[in-house]
Amino acid sequence: MRAILALTGKDLLQTGRDRLAALFTFILPILFTVFFGFLFGSSGSDRLPVALLNLDDGAPAQSLITTLERGGMVELRPYSAVQRLGLEEAVQKDNVAAGLIIPQGFGSASDANVPSAPAIVVGKMGSSGSQSVMQSVRSAVDRVLGARAATAAALAALDLDSSPGSAEFQGGLAVSEAAYEHPTVTVIAEDAGTEAGRTPRGFDLSSPGMLVNWILFSLLTAAVALVQERKTGALRRLLTTRVRGIQIIAGKTGAMLCITLTQQVVLIGLGQFVLGVDYLRNPPALLLAMFSLSLLAASLGLMLATILRSEQAVISATVIISMVLAAMGGAWFPLEITGSTFAAIGHVTPAAWVLDAFRGVILQGQGVLQVLPGLAVVWGYALLFFAVAVWRFRFE
Amino acid sequence: MTFIKVENLRKQFDPPRGIVAVDGLSFHMDEGEIYSLLGPNGAGKTTTISMLSCLLRPSGGDARVGGHSVREHPQAAKELIGVVPQDIALYPELSARENLVFWGKMYGLSGAALRRRVGEVLEIIDLTERQDERIEKYSGGMKRRVNIGVALLHEPRALYLDEPTVGIDPQSRRSILDVILQFRDRGMTILYTTHYMAEAQELSDRIGIMDHGRMLAEGTHEELVKIVGEEAHVELTVDRHLEQLATAWREMDGVARVTVEEERAILLVPDATVTLPRLFETAAAVQARINEVNVTEPDLEMVFLHLTGRALRD
Repeated sequence: MRAILALTGKDLLQTGRDRLAALFTFILPILFTVFFGFLFGSSGSDRLPVALLNLDDGAPAQSLITTLERGGMVELRPYSAVQRLGLEEAVQKDNVAAGLIIPQGFGSASDANVPSAPAIVVGKMGSSGSQSVMQSVRSAVDRVLGARAATAAALAALDLDSSPGSAEFQGGLAVSEAAYEHPTVTVIAEDAGTEAGRTPRGFDLSSPGMLVNWILFSLLTAAVALVQERKTGALRRLLTTRVRGIQIIAGKTGAMLCITLTQQVVLIGLGQFVLGVDYLRNPPALLLAMFSLSLLAASLGLMLATILRSEQAVISATVIISMVLAAMGGAWFPLEITGSTFAAIGHVTPAAWVLDAFRGVILQGQGVLQVLPGLAVVWGYALLFFAVAVWRFRFE
Repeated sequence: MTFIKVENLRKQFDPPRGIVAVDGLSFHMDEGEIYSLLGPNGAGKTTTISMLSCLLRPSGGDARVGGHSVREHPQAAKELIGVVPQDIALYPELSARENLVFWGKMYGLSGAALRRRVGEVLEIIDLTERQDERIEKYSGGMKRRVNIGVALLHEPRALYLDEPTVGIDPQSRRSILDVILQFRDRGMTILYTTHYMAEAQELSDRIGIMDHGRMLAEGTHEELVKIVGEEAHVELTVDRHLEQLATAWREMDGVARVTVEEERAILLVPDATVTLPRLFETAAAVQARINEVNVTEPDLEMVFLHLTGRALRD
C-alpha cells in the first residue's frame, strides 16, 4: 500500500508541476463550458425577449404590460416612440423574438366599450418565437380587457357607477384581477423528463457535457505519463524494484482518480455556484456519477498506454477516442435532439451513460438507485479496460 | 565465493522464429568482483542484464543471484541487486532528492532509514549541494550520477551497470569510474556492460567477451590478451628493398616473426621499444627509408578481432 501511495504521490507532483496539464485540466474546460452554455442559448433567462413600444399612457396598457411581465413567458425590452424603426430592425436581426406595439387609444377604446385599437405584434410569423409571443399577448389582452369588461358589467347590473374613474370600478377591477390571479381551476404543463415546470437551460446542457468531455480528455494525461515512463526506462526500472506490475497500475489509477475528481469538483463548483446548474439536488448520486466518470477515464487511459507504444500514437489515439466518445455520448449536444438511431448508437459508448446520470441528477433530481443501472454499464466498461491494461502490462 | 551463477541462459524473443538474443550463456561472478561483459551493440549484454534483473524471463537455462533463482524466486533475487539502466531512468520534473526519496520507497525504505540513506547517497554521488534542483536542469554527467545513486539506496549486494558512461564527457566518465571502484572496495559485486575496451580493462577483475548472444572468451585481461599472444604488432612501410629487409629482420634478435604483405612488413616483437631503433638502423644500412610505422600492443580489441574477424566498434 505504501508503494501505491508513493506512486500516486509522485504522479500528482509531476502533474502539479506541468503547466500544460493545468491548461487542459482547468482553464480550457471552464472556457468551453461557458462557450457551449451560450451556444445552447443561456442568456441567464429562459424568457423570450420582446421589444415593446407603448404609445398609450392609459391604465389598460399598463395593466397589459404588467400581466405580460408576470406571465413569465416574455421579457419586455422598452423602446420609445422614435425608435419604431429600431424595433423592426431588432426583430429582423433576431435580436428579439418579436416586437409589441401598444397603439395610442388602446386604453380609452376599451374603456369606452368600443372595438379596441389592437396591440400589434411584429415578428417573423413563421417562427415559433413569434407564435409564442402572439399567444401570450392575445391571452394577456383577453385577460386585461376581460377583467375590465366583467367589472363594468357587474357594476352596471348592480346599478352602480361603472365609469373607469369611479371608486366602485377600481374596487371591482381589483376583485376581478385577484380572481384571475387565483383561479379556481388551473392547468399545469409539465415537461417530460425534467422537473415539474422546468426547461433545461443552456448551462444545464453544457456544464455536464463539457465535464464529461474534459474528464475523458484527461485520460491523455494518464496515457502520456505512462508512455513517457516507458520511454525513459523508468517503468522497466520500477519493475526491478520490489514493486509489482499491479501496484504500478493501482498507483497510476489513484493519481488519475485524484486529478479527475479535483477537476470535477472545480467544474461542478463552477456549474453550481456561477452558472446556476443544480448539481447538488442529490449529492450521493452526484458523487457516484463523479467517481464512475473518473474510473472510466483512468481505465481507458491506462489501457491505451499499455496497447500503444509511441508517445505520438498515444496522443493521437487518446485525442480521437476521447472526442468521439464525448461527441457520440451527447457531451457536445444532447442526444435528445438527435434521431433515435443516433441516440441508440450513442448509448453504445460509456460516455452517454455517465452523462445520463449527471443530467438525471441535475434535471430530475435522480437518486442513487435511479442512476445506478446506467452507471453499472460504465463500471463494466472500466472493468474491461482495466483487465486489458493489466494483461498488456504483464508483457512490458 | 560465487555470488552470481549463470547457467546456459537463453533468451529468444517471439519464439519459435524470433531472434535469439542470448544463446546458452554461462559464467559466474565471485562476491566483491567486478565482472565486465564486453561486446558490440547487439551482442546480448542488455538482454543478459534484463534477465539477471528479473525483467525478462529466460527462454532457457537459469541464473542464481545470492542463491536465488531468477526464474523461481525473482522477488528474493531483486532484493539483492541494484540496477543502473543504460537510459536515465528518472523523473526530470523532480529534484534529485525527490527522485531518491521516491525510488527509496519503491525499494521498501521509509521514515528515518529512508532519510538517512538518501542523505548518504547524495554524499556518494556528490550532489548534496544541488539536491533540490530539478534534474532536468542537470548536466548529462550529473544525471548519470543520480541514475547510479538510485540503485544504491537499498544497499544492494550486487550492482548491475548497463553502459553507464554512454554519452557523457571524459571528466564525468572518470568520476563515475572512480565511484564504481569505490563500490568494489566496499565489497560490492559488480556486473558491468560496456563496449568501451579501456573501461573494461581498467575496471574489471574478469571480462567476458560476448557476440551474437554467446560468450566467446572470458578471463582476466592478461588471460584474454594471451589469446592473441603477448608480442606487439609492428607494421612498417619502406620505400625499397622490402624482401631484403624482411630477411635481415627475421634473423634479428628480439623479432619473433616477420610477414610481408604488399608494401608492408608485419613483425611480432616482444618489446617494441627496444627493437624499433634497431629496425631503423637495418633499413638505413641498405639505403632504404621507413615511411610509416604502426605499433599495436596486444589488447582486447585485438582479442575481439581475433575471435570474430570484426572490430569491436563495428
